[in-house]
Amino acid sequence: MSVSSSKLDPSIRLGAQGVTRRFGALVANDRIDFRVTRGSIHAIVGGNGAGKSTLMRILQGMDRPDEGMVIVDGAPAVFLGPADAFDKGVGMVHQEFMLVPGLTLLENLVLAHEPTGAFGAIDRQAALAAASDLERQAGVRLDWDLAEEDAPIHVRQIVEILRLLYRGADVLILDEPTAVLAPAQVKELIALLKKLRDEGRTILFISHKLDEVLALADQITVLRNGKVVASLPRGEADKAELARLMIGEILVRPELREASAGETVLAAEGLTVRDARGRVGLSEVDLAVRKGEIVGIAGVAGNGQDELASALIGLGRLSAGRITLAGVDITSVDLARRRSLGLSYLSPDRAAEGLCLAASIADNTIAGHHRRADLCKHGVLRRNAIRQHVDALLDRYMVKRSSSSLPAASLSGGNQQKVAVARELDGDPTFLLACQPTRGVDILGIAFIHQCLIDFRDRGGAVLLISEELDELLTLSDRIVVLYDGKVTGEVARGDAGVEQIGRLMLGGGRA
Amino acid sequence: MSDHAASAAPPTRFPWANLAEILTPLLLALAAAGVVLAVAGHNPFEVYWLLAVESFGGTRRIAATLAASTPLILTGLATAVAFRAGAFNVGVEGCVFVGGLAAAWVGFSFTGLPAVALVPLALAAAVVVGAFWMLVPGLLKARLDVDEVVTTLMLNFIAISLTAYLVNGPLLAPGSANSATPMVAEAARLPKLMPPSTLNAGFLIAIALLVLYWWWSNRTALGFETRIAGTNPRFATASGIDVPSLIIRMMLLSGAIGGVAGGIHALGTVGRFVSGFSPGYGFTGIAVALLGRGSAIGILLAALLFGALTTSGATIQLFSDVPIEIVNILQGMVMIFAVARFGWIFARRRRA
Repeated sequence: MSVSSSKLDPSIRLGAQGVTRRFGALVANDRIDFRVTRGSIHAIVGGNGAGKSTLMRILQGMDRPDEGMVIVDGAPAVFLGPADAFDKGVGMVHQEFMLVPGLTLLENLVLAHEPTGAFGAIDRQAALAAASDLERQAGVRLDWDLAEEDAPIHVRQIVEILRLLYRGADVLILDEPTAVLAPAQVKELIALLKKLRDEGRTILFISHKLDEVLALADQITVLRNGKVVASLPRGEADKAELARLMIGEILVRPELREASAGETVLAAEGLTVRDARGRVGLSEVDLAVRKGEIVGIAGVAGNGQDELASALIGLGRLSAGRITLAGVDITSVDLARRRSLGLSYLSPDRAAEGLCLAASIADNTIAGHHRRADLCKHGVLRRNAIRQHVDALLDRYMVKRSSSSLPAASLSGGNQQKVAVARELDGDPTFLLACQPTRGVDILGIAFIHQCLIDFRDRGGAVLLISEELDELLTLSDRIVVLYDGKVTGEVARGDAGVEQIGRLMLGGGRA
Repeated sequence: MSDHAASAAPPTRFPWANLAEILTPLLLALAAAGVVLAVAGHNPFEVYWLLAVESFGGTRRIAATLAASTPLILTGLATAVAFRAGAFNVGVEGCVFVGGLAAAWVGFSFTGLPAVALVPLALAAAVVVGAFWMLVPGLLKARLDVDEVVTTLMLNFIAISLTAYLVNGPLLAPGSANSATPMVAEAARLPKLMPPSTLNAGFLIAIALLVLYWWWSNRTALGFETRIAGTNPRFATASGIDVPSLIIRMMLLSGAIGGVAGGIHALGTVGRFVSGFSPGYGFTGIAVALLGRGSAIGILLAALLFGALTTSGATIQLFSDVPIEIVNILQGMVMIFAVARFGWIFARRRRA
């Protein structure tokens, strides 16, 4: 925490001094001091709820501190909004890219700041010249005439970064930039960001992936509970120390018992999904999940995971293939029937599908089980039995709540997800399809949910785990099946699962 | 449309919260209409006192208010049932027409039957025809995602015109010049509760259905599923609830209750079917369901409010120089404030 006095220091490109932001009783940012040196890469790490996003919003002008101030070029500054921050050279790459489908990459690059010729026509040559200049600075080559929707996700991310440069930003704020990338693409991004730094740009990025932080950042600031707990140069930081600073205590990784997989519970053969336009979303996928094992599905987002999940729960249309659950052909039966045969489904989209946020916590806990004999008799709900069941179940899953009759929206993200997990593991299903089970959950919640999945497996449950978190897949899976472009490109057993190999498979590479 | 319906059918179960939700738009409407009255040279407090006396001051006035509320309880209930499942059914008005005609037809055709058989038969006909009237919009919404607001609204015009044609042609009372069916048999009339008021057994049926609705929506598995499906259909689907089938069933139920509203109006109040049978009961029912926030107690209070405004409006101009238009303005204001509140919730949901 080598923060000097508030003397004017132009080497500080962007910073915060005593920034405090409260939301009701919650102090999201508590007297935050930090400085980003011009021409450096600065990482902000911290668990969910540590205050990273709030700080970024303040540094980008989307929010204003209750106390303290933002520092620009060593002097106090007030951002009236994101446009004002941009005028001072600060631009942000959001997790959801802000590119326009239907336009080419070049059009997206110059959008709203097009070089124009006579009669306002876009000067394509000038735009291309600007694009190739940016390519040179960033050390990349792009096909600028590609339509936005046809460009792979890492290319879109590069366009998003170059667009900020095109419009004159020299401070780039990136929010979890590697979350959507495969390992090889992460390396490319790291190289690109380093090149930009060497060109004199200042980069500030949020991450919770410590390996990437250590590979990329010059300076690392750790947030916990809204406070800066440390700020260290890369040379003084190591992974274990950063993890300890982030969490405040040492987390024990769940011990995986050697899998004792039994007979096949879920078998899928030749699953093929084509959408209305004939695009193949899933192609000839074979899959088997046995009793007492967790099978992970790895892949860059959008390579068939969604189609696979919809096919297994029966909400998507299957073009070809066959699915059996515990020996019963479920290919053409609806989700209610699949659930009664022992299927359980943890949705990746907690807010829209995994829970009904407007309904009470209790309603969310029993939905889908509400016609079970112990909760319902002759179509009439047994209210006392339901109340006892809900309280017992939520206590077991340690869901922090003041009353189960409050809306589910009143819970924190981690506790919401625990409600969904509790519900889906209730009633001892035989097969659980778990999609992004810990998305948006803090690090302690993640550990808890991981333990729930492992316990379920050890009780003989079969789990298909679809996740974008490679770490999660490596921690939990007995086998990892890799999807690329709707096809299975390989399978890696526990033990010999190397990040490099999985990464290669995620990008379509064969078994090297 | 599920977002609309969700706010009409909240998971709250506390009657007091509902009461506050009904009273707020009412008070705002009274205040706004008070300004209109004052500008027009009337003392708003005097007018409101007069309205209160005319609707609740004495047994006969109360009976008239309850009689006016009866069809509104039923149409409000019919609308709320569909809202609850996420279907924004605005076609209850049409169900009132076809249900009313069906009940009247049974009532004047099977004149030999005793009351114990004829009344249930006539109401059953209203139920069947009303439900049938909502079958096509229900199927279209559930299976093809066709907007039910458009289909049910259009079906209203068809219902009104179709019944008008029938009572001008095939079902016209012999020797009658105005478009009306023959009077139903005396055995088909619903017994009057407090003669000479038109308050009849239909009010008791409406209250019974309201109690049933409260029990169904809060205590049964089907009511639970309907509420979840109306609030978040994706979640309901992922939980294994068959949302399309639920929507069809609730649309049928909505149509059936709308048909009963028409049947009771025909057998209890009018005694036959006439063209222009309903003065917009189905549309007022939408306001009742919205204002009552889809809860049983809320629907009852909202229906009583609109019933009171109707009865007092009819007589107020006899005793004062306040024109009936003032009462219409007041009714409209209540509706606007009820719906405005609802639009605010809708906007907040969209942002969330």
